[in-house]
Amino acid sequence: MVNKNYNKKLKALIALRLKIVRPLLCITILPYFCFIGVIAFKPEKFSPLIFNTHISLGIFLGLLLILLIFFITIRYVYLANKYIEPQINAIKNDI
Amino acid sequence: MISKLFLFILFFCNFSSASNGNNENNYIAIIMFILFVTVTLFITYLASKKSSTADGFYTAGGNITGLQNGLAISGDFMSAASFLGISGLVYLTGFDGLIYSIGFLIGWPIILLLIAEPLRNLGKYSFADVVSFRLSQRPIRILAACGSLSTVILYLIAQMVGAGKLIEILFGLPYYSAVMIVGGLMILYVTFGGMLATTWVQIIKAILLLFGATTIAILVLFQFNFDINLFFNEATNIHKKGVSILSPGGLISDPISAVSLGLALMFGTAGLPHILMRFFTVSDANQARKSVAYATGFIGYFYLLTFIIGFGAIILISNNPSYLDGSNTLIGGNNMAAIHLAHAVGGDILLGFISAVAFATILAVVSGLTLAGASAISHDLYANAFFKGKQTEKSEMFVSKIATIFLGILSIYLGIIFQDQNVAFMVGLAFAIAASANFPLLLLSIYWKKLTTKGAVVGGSLGLLSAITFVILGPVVWVDILGNTTPIFPYKYPALFSMSITFLIIWIISSLDKSKQGVSEIKSFDAQYFRSQTGIGIDTKISH
Repeated sequence: MVNKNYNKKLKALIALRLKIVRPLLCITILPYFCFIGVIAFKPEKFSPLIFNTHISLGIFLGLLLILLIFFITIRYVYLANKYIEPQINAIKNDI
Repeated sequence: MISKLFLFILFFCNFSSASNGNNENNYIAIIMFILFVTVTLFITYLASKKSSTADGFYTAGGNITGLQNGLAISGDFMSAASFLGISGLVYLTGFDGLIYSIGFLIGWPIILLLIAEPLRNLGKYSFADVVSFRLSQRPIRILAACGSLSTVILYLIAQMVGAGKLIEILFGLPYYSAVMIVGGLMILYVTFGGMLATTWVQIIKAILLLFGATTIAILVLFQFNFDINLFFNEATNIHKKGVSILSPGGLISDPISAVSLGLALMFGTAGLPHILMRFFTVSDANQARKSVAYATGFIGYFYLLTFIIGFGAIILISNNPSYLDGSNTLIGGNNMAAIHLAHAVGGDILLGFISAVAFATILAVVSGLTLAGASAISHDLYANAFFKGKQTEKSEMFVSKIATIFLGILSIYLGIIFQDQNVAFMVGLAFAIAASANFPLLLLSIYWKKLTTKGAVVGGSLGLLSAITFVILGPVVWVDILGNTTPIFPYKYPALFSMSITFLIIWIISSLDKSKQGVSEIKSFDAQYFRSQTGIGIDTKISH
């Protein structure tokens, strides 16, 4: 069952998945811990009001983080459907 | 079944008419609630025909769509505690409420990117299926069941105590009967309707909750012509802390607590058994992926609403004497902010609706938890750890029903025992255990080739025990509840330490494990990895 061609396809699938998942994982974990880090070390940095409004930088960035989380999940589903699914199907067809 | 249904409704009506009813709008809430119970019990009756098989009971037959599952997952996650608790926290502290909202949301991309698809590809009924895929069944199943049951029971206690108190205030029912009604209905849903009924209860409740919260938020913003700037300005003018509610308060005081809480929230979600179980109700990894995206959307939207509701409550009710008691705090406590706000913007009808939704939410969440707990007992312990797959499906289903009834009675009992205790820390502890035991086992079994049974068992149990020990010896239990002067473990949140213990011990023991069994477990990783990546080899569910 395990032939060279099929092993190659599996390796390509794993590499592709890594290529898609790794940057998305970074933009999940890093901004979150930066956000938490500011709250823990320099909470006063989140106090200034932005753009002459009554909204603080902290609230603005917090809401932005929620939008970023939406973006990450939608982006992953889009990329997975477009690139990962066809490769999985190709492997399925080989078997 | 039908007769039981009416007995329950009668039982409930009796109590409600007997209650002194400090709110006249009680009737709207009671009618709405009875409607919810009638519809969901009818669904349970329909589902009972399909729930006699293991597939039906654990996974609703595996034909739930991505959108339906996304709604059901968000239903599991949006508990009354998070709706009332987070809006209450925003009401009290402003910005700090946002820290929790984001924390509860940040776990979802992690589940999506790392767990959802391999979980669906490798497992059948519970996350222990995945962990024990190439490892030794009995020890791994016992460990995973301990992790699941401790998470589920802690969560259940917190929900039950919250439910009793909330229903006491909203419906004027005595605490004991409130806890018993919740426990009783939950036993009915899960025993007779299994996953199918539980899923639909979650879906209906999620839609009602989203609808109710949206209505409050729109009515609040309408008063400010949807001008967010004006809205925040008004809130800072009214709140006694002024503009400081727009920046971090005292919720997180030191860096270690910050990182520790952050870790527990981020990785705990990916270790909650009742959430993980939902991924087996969809047909394949593709649908599993979609469910997380939908769920994240609904949950994130919901937290945005609770933020608006919390600030709305600051503006509209914090100065209104009809919602305050003698000492100028909200009647029923800060967690009632959303409920009072519903009355302030939508009158008796919206108050009745939101009260009924809060009750329905509690019911749905405890049902999901009980189902996950019951499957840990029947599928992991009974069927796989003790009978090693030699049991009949019929006997496994019998055990699952007994387990459901047992967990239902246990949670009623614990709800009564812990009535006057501060149980808020229990959800935090559940998250810490999920992040320190369930999540590392799941993650490493999927991705780390060299994981062996010995490493998983020693590391996983130490992670579980250390999370519990650190919380007991920490400031919340050791000082606040047990009354000692100084904590033995100085931090409120244990995840940073307990997660490190789990990963480190698993790594050391697995690396040292040169036994024959260990070597063969490492050898079988490639086949497992292939299946987790491609989904080739999973049971294809036939649609009926």
